[in-house]
Amino acid sequence: MDYQAIFYALLPDLIVVVALFIALGIDYGYLRKSSLANRSVRALQISSVGLFVGMVLLVLQMKGSLPMDYAQLLAATHGQLALSPGTLALKCLLFSMGLAVLPLAARHMVTRHVSEYFALLLLATLGMGFMVTSRNLLGAFVALELVSLSLYALTVLHQTSRTSAEAALKYLTYGGVSSAFLLFGISYLFGLTGTLDISKTIPMSEALTGAPMLVSVAYLFILVGLGFKVAVAPFHLWSPDVYQSAPTPVAAWIASGSKIAGVVLLLVLLIPVSTLSANTTIIPMLAVLAVLSMAVGNLGALRQTNLKRLLAYSAIANAGYLLVAVLAFSEEGRAAAIYYAVVYAIATLGTFAVVSVFGDRLGREAQIDDFRGFWKNRPGLSMALLIFILSLAGIPPLAGFVGKFYLFYAAIQSQPQISYWSEGLYWLVALALVFSVVALYYYMKVLKAVFVSEDIAESREDSIGWPSSVVILILSLITLVLGVWPGPLIEYIRGCLIF
Amino acid sequence: MIALSTVLISFVGAMVCGLMPPDSHRRVRWVALLTAVLGLTMAFLCALEYQGTGFEDEFSSTWIPWIGVSFITGYDGISLPLLLVTGLVAVSGVLFTWNLDHRANQFYAFYFALIGGVYGVFLSLDLFLLFVFYEIAIVPKYFLIAIWGGDKREYAAMKLVMYSFGGSALVLLGMLALYFGSGLNTFGLEQLMSADFSGAFQAVVFPILFLGFAILAGMWPFHTWAPTGHAAAPTAASMLLAGVVMKLGAYGCLRIAVGLLPEGAVVWAPIIAIFAVVNIIYGALVALRQEDFKFVIGYSSVSHMGFVLLGIATLNLTGMTGAVLQMFSHGVIGALLFAMVGTVIYSRTKTRMFDELHRLIDRMPGIAWVFIIVGLASMGLPGFSGFVSELYVLLGAWESLSGWIVALAGLGVLATFGYTLVKIHEAFFQRVAEDSGNNIGVEQPDYPPMTLPEKMGVGLLLGASILIGICPWLLTNHISGSLQLLIDRMAN
Repeated sequence: MDYQAIFYALLPDLIVVVALFIALGIDYGYLRKSSLANRSVRALQISSVGLFVGMVLLVLQMKGSLPMDYAQLLAATHGQLALSPGTLALKCLLFSMGLAVLPLAARHMVTRHVSEYFALLLLATLGMGFMVTSRNLLGAFVALELVSLSLYALTVLHQTSRTSAEAALKYLTYGGVSSAFLLFGISYLFGLTGTLDISKTIPMSEALTGAPMLVSVAYLFILVGLGFKVAVAPFHLWSPDVYQSAPTPVAAWIASGSKIAGVVLLLVLLIPVSTLSANTTIIPMLAVLAVLSMAVGNLGALRQTNLKRLLAYSAIANAGYLLVAVLAFSEEGRAAAIYYAVVYAIATLGTFAVVSVFGDRLGREAQIDDFRGFWKNRPGLSMALLIFILSLAGIPPLAGFVGKFYLFYAAIQSQPQISYWSEGLYWLVALALVFSVVALYYYMKVLKAVFVSEDIAESREDSIGWPSSVVILILSLITLVLGVWPGPLIEYIRGCLIF
Repeated sequence: MIALSTVLISFVGAMVCGLMPPDSHRRVRWVALLTAVLGLTMAFLCALEYQGTGFEDEFSSTWIPWIGVSFITGYDGISLPLLLVTGLVAVSGVLFTWNLDHRANQFYAFYFALIGGVYGVFLSLDLFLLFVFYEIAIVPKYFLIAIWGGDKREYAAMKLVMYSFGGSALVLLGMLALYFGSGLNTFGLEQLMSADFSGAFQAVVFPILFLGFAILAGMWPFHTWAPTGHAAAPTAASMLLAGVVMKLGAYGCLRIAVGLLPEGAVVWAPIIAIFAVVNIIYGALVALRQEDFKFVIGYSSVSHMGFVLLGIATLNLTGMTGAVLQMFSHGVIGALLFAMVGTVIYSRTKTRMFDELHRLIDRMPGIAWVFIIVGLASMGLPGFSGFVSELYVLLGAWESLSGWIVALAGLGVLATFGYTLVKIHEAFFQRVAEDSGNNIGVEQPDYPPMTLPEKMGVGLLLGASILIGICPWLLTNHISGSLQLLIDRMAN
């Protein structure tokens, strides 16, 4: 085994780990007597630099500075490091989104444990990075647990809030049980195939064809486990509480980064069965999850008055749309799912960023009504919110529209000619379209509060600070550009779909 | 590029208006007028340039080639009248909203975003692009109504948006079916026109697409968004809604549903004709019962759109020419009616209820006479564009549909006469009963006469209707030239 090569391959992550320890060390040593504001600024600076250097290294790796090629590294690490341009790009995206979350966290400190807050955010980011680059069942599981454990701890950091503790406990309990389910399913797969390396697709598929029943059971457990993690109905019960009660930047991170990583993991785990006859039993399972998620998410969101809860339900609904493309079990479907996950995550992150810079200063939960007259106080932020929400609703010319269109396109493409309505995925696409009409209602409700009302709910004149402004500006520009000019990204995703 | 510049001008105008300071309504309205006039000029240039029968002034560029999407625009004799009516309504909408001072910059930002989307739909020669513009036009409508509207505006705005979006969901499904059904891997309209769809496929997909578009065209029983939306909207927005947005739906029905799936159209035409006649009669009868002047106009729009749908259902040259001409005609007249009621009369009387309007002829004689002329145009009297278009539609229906349909549609025309005359009487000549607390008998001062922008707006729209009423060949030559191509394809 070439340890030097592995060292270079892991250099971005090592840098982040080093930054994490420096942040902790400085906070506990040098800055012990400092003010909270000062400590949070220092922690923000150190962790941002760490993530940024990590990103730069990742870009260099994408450009081909890795000492070993993809296949060698994959074989040498038993599938634990699948560093193709595609996965590296995803990892880089996750790092940059992590970088976007940090200033939001620094703006409004909810805890005195400043450095732990940042350290946990970095740990979660690292875990997500490993989730998207691992093709080893156990490696992926460990990465997922790293993410989950960091997020449980982050949720409870909202120390002044009792509901934060309750939500975290709920999250921990559900998350723990779902991990057990996932591990159980993985153990079945391991038992069937004798390998943990999921990149060996062909021998794995061959081993699986022998026992369709067991494969179904294994995937049932895997879907239940992952279903909890990415919050698809009926395993969504934790998510509205967690979104509402966690510190807003943490909720943003749960809704965006962990969603992308979870979707990629789901796609990877489904690869061995993508051409298998066993997916005749897996397809109905996924279809049920998709339909339930769309229904529960969209109908649940209609009643919400709290913006963060509304976003939680909208996340469930969007996971449902996404499953429609996953069901296609095709290259196009995977590309569509990844594209959608990315644009969805960006728009959600943006929405949460706006909620975070505005809502957290209210000192209580931001209700939709608190955004009344927002256009008067904060025209810029209102425009950004308009872009994010309309992108979530799938209105052109924004990224969410192209994403949704591509999902439906890919779903139908898997079987375009049908002779009966229940064949192919036309019916599921039709259902998704019906629900996206329902969804427009609650998204418009938010925009109504922001733009229509003349009276002002909350008057705040203080500045939101440049780091957050830059984050929101960049996110809204990306959402706009990916809607008007989505070609290059779609091409890139399609071009490097090596799983 | 001349045609495409209408879209660009509108979007740039929207951006400029949106970025202007909130308290600058005096400057904003000039920017808005300039944008609208430029758009109209470009549309007019298109009309002058247009020579043949096929698509002209095409602009094409790749967009998302991996899923068969390109950016192709162009126009032909069918889209030409609609470009013109969009330009006319946009200009007069600004003129009739001249005194708007509440959030004017945002108003015009949404206004021109909507207009840009509308121009875009009429110019798109790629289904995906058309759909994008179609949806771009939805959201601004919500804000225009919900922010600047009148009674029950939030309800009306939401209802309108939900109906529009529901329709577009159907359209999207039909679009994907077309794409995969053709097997050509393109959303390009011209390529899809040459695709060979099987009869069974057409019969299934046609109603999905047609219904999706017809919801926006105000087809009964999916018309209910229209009267409430029109009544709640501010004047410029209701002018756009009635004048242009409903035409988007009708245009989609004709260009996409009938144009791409002619065999499906043949199967469903009789049913569409029945719905269209219901539209005509139902709209007229309900208009007769309304107490609110704006609702009368709202239902009259539903009734007039019935003629468009009937014209499309004839599937012959005469009828469809009538349908397109009716889109133009109603676009102009419908918008003018809303302007008269919503701004010219309402800004003076502060009420639109018939039982509070007391012999307006005495107090605003000039406006009353103008309104009566507009009413005559709406009834479709000879000399106005409505006469020509309805005649074409009825002749077309006579050619290819049952005599009963024509007879019923004729009844609808009579009903139109009925409600127009009755409502003109109620508004301008009727004495209100003594007990309504309206100071009957007290000499009341005259209302101020029409302002200059109002006169210009009326002149523009009424002039267009009279011009086409007297010289219909200005448009019908182009319309029937392009329709002939479509019909030739159907014959094959």
